[in-house]
Amino acid sequence: MIWAMAQKELLQLRRDKRLLALIGVMPIVLLILFGLALKLEPSNVKMAYFDEDKSFFSMLIETELFNDGYFELYKVTSLNDLQEEIRSGRAKAGVHIHKDFSASLVKNAQPHVDFFVDGTMPSLTTAMKYNSKIMTSENVTSNMYFLDENATNVVIAKTPFLIDTQILFNPDEKETWFFLPGVIGVLIMQVALILTGISVVREREKNTLEQLMVTPISKFSFVIGKLLPYIFIALLDFYFILGVGWSFFELPLPESHLLLFCLALIYVWVMISLGLLISLVSQTQQQAMFIAIFIIVPSILLSGFIFPLEAIPEYVRALSYAIPFTYFVEVMRGLLIKHTLLVDMVSSFMALLLFVIVFVGSSVVLFKKRV
Amino acid sequence: MIRVIDLFKEFTDKAVLHNISLEIDKGVIFGLLGPNGAGKTTLIKTLCGILKASSGDISIDGESIENAKPSFGYVAQHFGQYEELSVWENILFYAKMYSVKDIKRLKYLMERYGLEAYKSTLAGKLSGGYQRRLALVCALVHNPKVLFLDEPTAGIDPITRKLLWDDFYTLALEGKTLFVTTHYMEEAQRCNQLAFLASGKLLVQGTPEGIKESIEGVELYSVKIDYNPELISAFAKFQGVALVNQFGDQLRLLLTQKLIVDSIEQEIKKYTDERLLKATISLEDVFIYLTQEFAE
Repeated sequence: MIWAMAQKELLQLRRDKRLLALIGVMPIVLLILFGLALKLEPSNVKMAYFDEDKSFFSMLIETELFNDGYFELYKVTSLNDLQEEIRSGRAKAGVHIHKDFSASLVKNAQPHVDFFVDGTMPSLTTAMKYNSKIMTSENVTSNMYFLDENATNVVIAKTPFLIDTQILFNPDEKETWFFLPGVIGVLIMQVALILTGISVVREREKNTLEQLMVTPISKFSFVIGKLLPYIFIALLDFYFILGVGWSFFELPLPESHLLLFCLALIYVWVMISLGLLISLVSQTQQQAMFIAIFIIVPSILLSGFIFPLEAIPEYVRALSYAIPFTYFVEVMRGLLIKHTLLVDMVSSFMALLLFVIVFVGSSVVLFKKRV
Repeated sequence: MIRVIDLFKEFTDKAVLHNISLEIDKGVIFGLLGPNGAGKTTLIKTLCGILKASSGDISIDGESIENAKPSFGYVAQHFGQYEELSVWENILFYAKMYSVKDIKRLKYLMERYGLEAYKSTLAGKLSGGYQRRLALVCALVHNPKVLFLDEPTAGIDPITRKLLWDDFYTLALEGKTLFVTTHYMEEAQRCNQLAFLASGKLLVQGTPEGIKESIEGVELYSVKIDYNPELISAFAKFQGVALVNQFGDQLRLLLTQKLIVDSIEQEIKKYTDERLLKATISLEDVFIYLTQEFAE
């Protein structure tokens, strides 16, 4: 009897071509993504480099950083620029070499080099701090001794210069600050994709859609009426978790509550319309659930929510940017933790709006065709 | 009230309705008969606007389907109200869909269909009969001129079925037009007007009596005899026997040629002394005969 039951279940599954395709494709996609693509060791971490000294000695540091390859250097021309680059997210770290670096070095006065790291992502911060040690490696320091025999004997310190590490934005490296903004996004994704995802399919499966189609309700009212409660629930979720974060985890307040609300609204809209799209392409609740999870899992892993985007190789990075959640995480951390300027987040906002247009557009097309 | 001209409906792989034309007057109970898979449900869904016609013209009360939505109601074959909502909540929901604010009318309907006692019962917990009543109430909230009922009494006990039909007559008396699909002959007999659908084609239309008479050149004979497979297969081979139908202790034979009556009588004598008698054609005979004739 167990065997008959299992056989029946398999037969049913075989008839559901769509679900079968999903079951077949999902492991392959996930395997490629996480087996081949995802490397947990970040590389090519962007670093803003501000060298006021421009001497032979400071060049040594630059060359070593360049040769090592962990950081990808680009030059900026002021300390303010350097910090803004990190705030905007374009750079994750920065090095500032002061004007009197070589002068102090010659005097053996142990000059300080400022090393800035973005603290929003503690795992990346730790990795960056570790990798910053190459600046004081022997390749650099061994050349900082003076080999002039005629010179007066100067006592050279074992470490000719010191690195001052400054963690920006999340100085205590609190994991909750890092996780909470993303968790909010994941929850909204769940509410929107799963609840909305099954909502239309459910009406179809339970024959209630048919009865509704006979009534004078317009397709527009039907869709909006169905989505409104979930939009409300998602927004409620958003502020509930934030409230908990603010009251219990000392999560910083955003620079602008209006922008935060805008983000919430747009993101919820993106996710709800994606949920609607799922609902329209699936024929059964099973299929809808499967597709929703199929979207949620890579979203969590590839968005920079847990693993920094720097840990994702270039050839998969494009995929990260095809995930709405990526932009949400970016803007959310920008708003709450880094207080990024609006100018630097506009592109992310635009990307989210683009998703809205694409999802709503395809939903409308599909809805006209299918229902 | 309902007018259909040259309606065609195709699904991606095959045509399911061919060249359907209908004219149904106000206050008529119209019965659509046909075997399973004939396209009855497809036709009723197309008339309600759930499915789009491939071609042809449909008007209800002189309006296109889209504009006529406030003036017709539809009760699906399967329960299509919200199981998680109570009876009253379902009624209120449909009332709002039709912008009906007359709470008195809703209460009256609930009472009329005996749902008062189940007001706060969840629709999913109702028995089949009461679910049907609720579906009917939900389709009546806006006092429609036309009511489409897809097999309204399938799986319903005889008492409830009688109650429902009494009600259908009342509705028709109120001036409503009822479009009912069924394959119960006893129910078809109750309709004012009938149409017979087989393989997506309308074969005959008319009053129940008219339809019986429309089968020309055939005569029905019956004999009192118990079921005998030998006899039945013998008759089935006879040229001119259109239909062999055992009905309790009666064997009914529909003949297209009078001449063979004698040879049939002789055959029967082998089995019984009972006489072969001429009988009147019933709707069931017509139904089975037409279904056989046009089976493709």
